[in-house]
Amino acid sequence: MVKSFRFMLLGMVLWLVAGCGYNVMQQNEEAVKAAWGDVEAAYQRRNDLIPNLVETVKAYAKFEQDTLTQVIEARAKVGTVQMSKDVLDDPKKFEAFQAAQNSMSSALSRLLVVVEKYPELKANQSFMDLQHQLEGTENRINVARSRYNKAVETFNGSIRTFPNNLTNRFLLQLKLKEPFKAAPGAEKAPQVKF
Amino acid sequence: MKKAAASLFVLLLLLPLRAKAAEIPALRGYVNDYGNMISPAVEAGLAEKLKKFEETDSTQLVVLTVPSLEGDPVEEYSIRVAERWKIGQRGKDNGILFLVSREDRKLRIEVGRGLEGKLTDLTAGRILDLVVKPKFKAGDFDGGFTAGVSALIDATRGEFTADRKAPSVPFAAGMPPWLALLILLGFFVLFAAMARSRSRHTETGRNGLRRRGARRDGTWGGYPPFPGGDYGGGWSTRGDGDSGSDSGGGFSGGGGGFGGGGASGDW
Repeated sequence: MVKSFRFMLLGMVLWLVAGCGYNVMQQNEEAVKAAWGDVEAAYQRRNDLIPNLVETVKAYAKFEQDTLTQVIEARAKVGTVQMSKDVLDDPKKFEAFQAAQNSMSSALSRLLVVVEKYPELKANQSFMDLQHQLEGTENRINVARSRYNKAVETFNGSIRTFPNNLTNRFLLQLKLKEPFKAAPGAEKAPQVKF
Repeated sequence: MKKAAASLFVLLLLLPLRAKAAEIPALRGYVNDYGNMISPAVEAGLAEKLKKFEETDSTQLVVLTVPSLEGDPVEEYSIRVAERWKIGQRGKDNGILFLVSREDRKLRIEVGRGLEGKLTDLTAGRILDLVVKPKFKAGDFDGGFTAGVSALIDATRGEFTADRKAPSVPFAAGMPPWLALLILLGFFVLFAAMARSRSRHTETGRNGLRRRGARRDGTWGGYPPFPGGDYGGGWSTRGDGDSGSDSGGGFSGGGGGFGGGGASGDW
């Protein structure tokens, strides 16, 4: 009788350890980090494309210095934002990262709108190639961001629900992660002015 | 509480949006012509070609045509399809989805992560621009699909080769049936021995031998799903069924991953 009771106690302890969510939370955090790696890689890819794009556009659209300068400046600004793992735990750094990337996005979309005025440029094969690469990269960024947000959602959910919240408070002390928010003004398409 | 109510409200707002998004059709084979754009003869030829390509290179190229995207951006729709269908082999991530929407006149090549090196966004874009679009513009859909698929195959040939043992075949199907049976028998004996030793453990000290003997009989009879041959049969048919669906009858993706690579266009 005592023996079976002891077994039951052991079972309960095991169940508690497995059921406290310790492992689940760790796994979820790793998933968030992995997803963040993809986000960074996608943004980096875009940054690497920009010099080429600027050069190609410059050759055809000499009168668009302003727009080109904005793109170059935005790229420089992105470079100054420190990319490190603690971006994830620090809402302020995350905000800065997101703001820099957003200004890059809007500068780029302005450039692509301006380009509409130059039919020779649009018909140029190397520009068409660049456009494909840029589109592909933007799409990768979108995919990576939405996957990251999904991972964050799972992670945040897992550290806030019972009994994981207790385990987290007393053992792990993981912080909530920031998801990406839609860029302000992203809902309206850039204006074409002739 | 307020927060919960707010999030519920947001969820309710999202609900109709979710329902409105275009449906993902079932994966039927290499060519899924839901948009009725390809003639039956060409469709059969393409399917044959793609099957051969997967047999040699393990790269899985699937064509999908739909009547309409119902307002979804083509990139969003195609990544949803790719995530659902999981084209390509697990670990190699070598799937390609060639998606065409008839009414929106949009097309997209979605490239699995493993193929992004060979079939870059640029290459995919050029295939669309220079190979597929001119034919589509002329109204020659059959020609466009044939040329596009050929170009995609040429671009990715040699990146992967098929292993003789497909990785998607489950553990039990790879080995001869007698070995599976032997392993099973081993487990069976182990279980029986464990059950016996436990029963001996708990019964000692009361009225020894007789109870133990009775208990042993009980154990053997007490696991009805275990009478040897029957269970072994179950395993091997499950293995057969899976490998069968892999090679012939049904069609399925192998668990390949996508990261949003590829190119889109319209005609």
